[in-house]
Amino acid sequence: MISPRFSPDIDRPLLISTLLLTLIGIAFVFSATSMPSAATEHGLYLKQAIYLVLALLAGALIAAIPYRIYEGKTSYLLYAIGLGLLVLTLFVGHVGLGAQRWLGWGPVKIQPSELAKVATVILLATQLSDRKKDWTQIRNLFWPVLTAVIPFLLVLKQPDLGTSIAFVAILFTMLYWAGLPFLYLFFMITPIANVALSFFTPAWLVFLGLLAVILYRSRIRLLPLLLVVGINLFVGIATPQIWNHLQPYQKQRITTFLDPGADAYGAGYQIIQSKIAIGSGQFFGKGFLHGTQKALAFLPEQHTDFIYSVVGEETGFLGAAFVASLYLLLILRGIRVANRARNKFGGLLAIGMTSIFLYHVLVNIWMTVGLAPVTGLPLPLLSYGGSSLVASFLQVGLIQNVAMRWREY
Amino acid sequence: MRADPISLGGGWQRRERTLSILVVGIFALVLLRLFTLQVLQGSRYRELSEENRIRVEVLTAPRGEIRDRKGRMLADCVPSFTVTLDPFDKVYTRDPARMDSTLEALAPILGVEAASLRDKIRKERKVSFLPIRLKRNVDKKSVAYVSEHLDRLPGVQVESEPLRRYPLGLMASHLLGYVGEISDKELIDPHYSDYLSGDLIGRMGIERRYEKLLRGVDGKRFVEVNALGRKGEFLGEKHPILPTRGTDLMLTIDLDVQRAAENAFEPGARGAVVAMDPRNGEVLALASKPNYDPNEFSMGITQERWNALSSGGNYPLFNRAIQAAYPPGSTIKPFTALAGLENGVMTPRTYFASPCTGEFRFGTRLFGCWKHEGHGSLALHDAIVRSCDVYFYQLGIRIGLERLSAFMAKLMLSEKTGIDLPQERKGSYPDPAWYDRRFGAGRWSRGIILNLAIGQGEVIQTPVKLAQIAAFIANGGTLWRPHLIRSVGGNDAPAPGDSMRQYIALDARSLAAVRDAMASVVSDPQGTGGQARVDSVTVAGKTGTAQNPHGKDHALFICFAPVDAPRIAVAVLVENAGHGSTAAAPIARKVLEAFFHPAPAESVAVLAKG
Repeated sequence: MISPRFSPDIDRPLLISTLLLTLIGIAFVFSATSMPSAATEHGLYLKQAIYLVLALLAGALIAAIPYRIYEGKTSYLLYAIGLGLLVLTLFVGHVGLGAQRWLGWGPVKIQPSELAKVATVILLATQLSDRKKDWTQIRNLFWPVLTAVIPFLLVLKQPDLGTSIAFVAILFTMLYWAGLPFLYLFFMITPIANVALSFFTPAWLVFLGLLAVILYRSRIRLLPLLLVVGINLFVGIATPQIWNHLQPYQKQRITTFLDPGADAYGAGYQIIQSKIAIGSGQFFGKGFLHGTQKALAFLPEQHTDFIYSVVGEETGFLGAAFVASLYLLLILRGIRVANRARNKFGGLLAIGMTSIFLYHVLVNIWMTVGLAPVTGLPLPLLSYGGSSLVASFLQVGLIQNVAMRWREY
Repeated sequence: MRADPISLGGGWQRRERTLSILVVGIFALVLLRLFTLQVLQGSRYRELSEENRIRVEVLTAPRGEIRDRKGRMLADCVPSFTVTLDPFDKVYTRDPARMDSTLEALAPILGVEAASLRDKIRKERKVSFLPIRLKRNVDKKSVAYVSEHLDRLPGVQVESEPLRRYPLGLMASHLLGYVGEISDKELIDPHYSDYLSGDLIGRMGIERRYEKLLRGVDGKRFVEVNALGRKGEFLGEKHPILPTRGTDLMLTIDLDVQRAAENAFEPGARGAVVAMDPRNGEVLALASKPNYDPNEFSMGITQERWNALSSGGNYPLFNRAIQAAYPPGSTIKPFTALAGLENGVMTPRTYFASPCTGEFRFGTRLFGCWKHEGHGSLALHDAIVRSCDVYFYQLGIRIGLERLSAFMAKLMLSEKTGIDLPQERKGSYPDPAWYDRRFGAGRWSRGIILNLAIGQGEVIQTPVKLAQIAAFIANGGTLWRPHLIRSVGGNDAPAPGDSMRQYIALDARSLAAVRDAMASVVSDPQGTGGQARVDSVTVAGKTGTAQNPHGKDHALFICFAPVDAPRIAVAVLVENAGHGSTAAAPIARKVLEAFFHPAPAESVAVLAKG
């Protein structure tokens, strides 16, 4: 089939929602930094506009080159570069909010984890599109799992728990898309759920019962069955034992790690302020630039992590729901593109990129409305930040790339 | 349900549907939440955003208490008042200039410069949303004044906070350490990521070493305030998080012994005492003079006072018991003797070729004995009792530097004792390689062995190390890691697994010969340690007088008692005080008396008050 350069098959709803969200983002970066008390941040919306030009170029470029060139050897090269940057960050990175997340050359600073996510998706798409392998076979999972676990650990080391979990979310979504039965994914999550529940014995027993029923109904073979049961029993029994034998300072280290800002930056307080900001927007909002709550509390992060609460305060339920709907549209279109692609690599590429959006949007918005803990993840397209914006456009560009060439096998 | 991996269409379409439904569900939850916050509860939040403000009040956790081994209080907490200011108060976000007038009004009441308050606020408001502590431990009069004028001091509150108190003042100050505000440098260190600017942190001593245990976990509560002041607790989120108080520590220190050690020094004297239990390494007393009052730091110390303490004259913050190393002088002689006996180069009945005439010729150099008229001809026992240098010169030559330094290496004389206090320095007992590095291979005289054998020259040791090796002779071959914790939070501290650092199997006859001689040092009329005699207890010891190129000699004494079944080993050092027999041994006697014959409880209480 032919694939004209500017195909009419470009996904218009995806394009429009992306651009709209970005423009709304610049407007609210302007609003969030417009107070007299934020004098040093007044120019940030202009910088964001410059980043947008860069991002548009990068996105258009990556959409224009047929996506098949990323398949195979190229994907390993990209992945190696992504990991290299992550390792470099650990050694020479800049410290921000207690973690080494940034890499800089002079005035340019990038967050390599953003690029690593894209590279990981591309490599996973190569691996999982291997038609010779049956993805319902557990032994075939080794390489894909390793591919996600390495960047996961490197980012965890920074330490940036929120971003590192993104790699797990990507892996699970793509495995599911590649054909791994839902049940297997469930079993992969059980040990983690088990650790969390093992401290509340009644809940743990219910969980074990449920697991037993599902295992019985699923009729999986004996070896995997024993594996799942064995790991779960071990984890469930060992966790409280290990925990009780830890020194108080070790326990404290783990709790701070899981919940980094908890006390140090008054995270609970940020959530309250975010909820007050959003709630006080009521149905119609206080009007653009007329938010009062933003001036008070979220000083370092209102134009990045907490931008959605400024949207909520100034445009009310109407605006906040509209922005959420744009994200919903973007993600549903991503899934549609993935489904439509005839090429398996293309479909996996599109679903992987979409899963990055899904994870970030979910975690950030749930955080600002008080449904999830404070993690320090930006809201893609809306939050201030060059790395995040460029990475988002690379992701959208790749989805569009697949959309334009959906006919190709 | 095994999907054909090659099949497109069918399998994928089902996945698209499932995934899409999941995504729609996630966003439906967001919309539901937005509807609840903005439409159902919107007016309540609007009111909060316009009229009131939620502020966080930190509920500071009291630090764990520190007690001596008999339960007597060494460090506790008392309530105190702290004046705080909330820089995010609406008054200041509307009109930042108001901050200046508030600070101008507060500064004279608190006795602090307005400019320094401004700096503090500028720095701290960047890193947290919490009210900023302007001054701790504010006196009642100022508290009353501030409380009456709160309407003219927006954002200002008086909060109650626990204040660290050391009821015995100067007593055991180096051992306990003190607390102070965390420094800017520490704040950017990820190790201290759970500290906020203005938080207290342990400095030196136990407070530093066991900071993680002692600190506890601060709690917090959200309080709603408006222009008229507090409106009450805000229960929109989780209920207030109560503070968890720090873990109590019971030390191995015996306050009677500690007090005796500190009081034994003349006013203005400099020195250190370390006493430990030779059976297990528990430290019974660890004193350094001059000392300081850790309460000064808790109450907020001025810069001038800090400068005076940290650099002024006698360096009172310097813990001489673990941070300073001195030539051990003759206190090393029992160990030189052990090295000789263990290497089989001599026996307790060996007489050397040259009797002591007050001096000894080695090559072209003359080495003197401290007793100019000489000791005559003597064997090991009398050589230790009367501390004859000439005997030990010849013993040193016979052992040789290789073997002597190898034996001292087994005693770990060039290593730290590993005591659980920060900033311990290590001593040094040089070996041939050390001299090669220092002076070049072969470019040093063999005569150095003479000085090393009597504890002079390049050998230096800390008082805590001397106590550790005194205990080594007392218990017959075990080097314990000195430790200070007896119980943690009411539970017996598990004996640290590595508390035994070294065991050296010594020949029983060598050990008996050295111990016997050390007992005679104290009991024999000719012995140098007569001043360490204690009623009804047999004491074994060794005096030392360390030559000091910078001034008067340092006086040293090591001992243990009772000789047959030792329960205490002591090392005493007095800087620039002259002879060990007259300046250090009497201090050891007072320490031993306090241990074996403690004063009745009432007088202890009286002393504690005074």
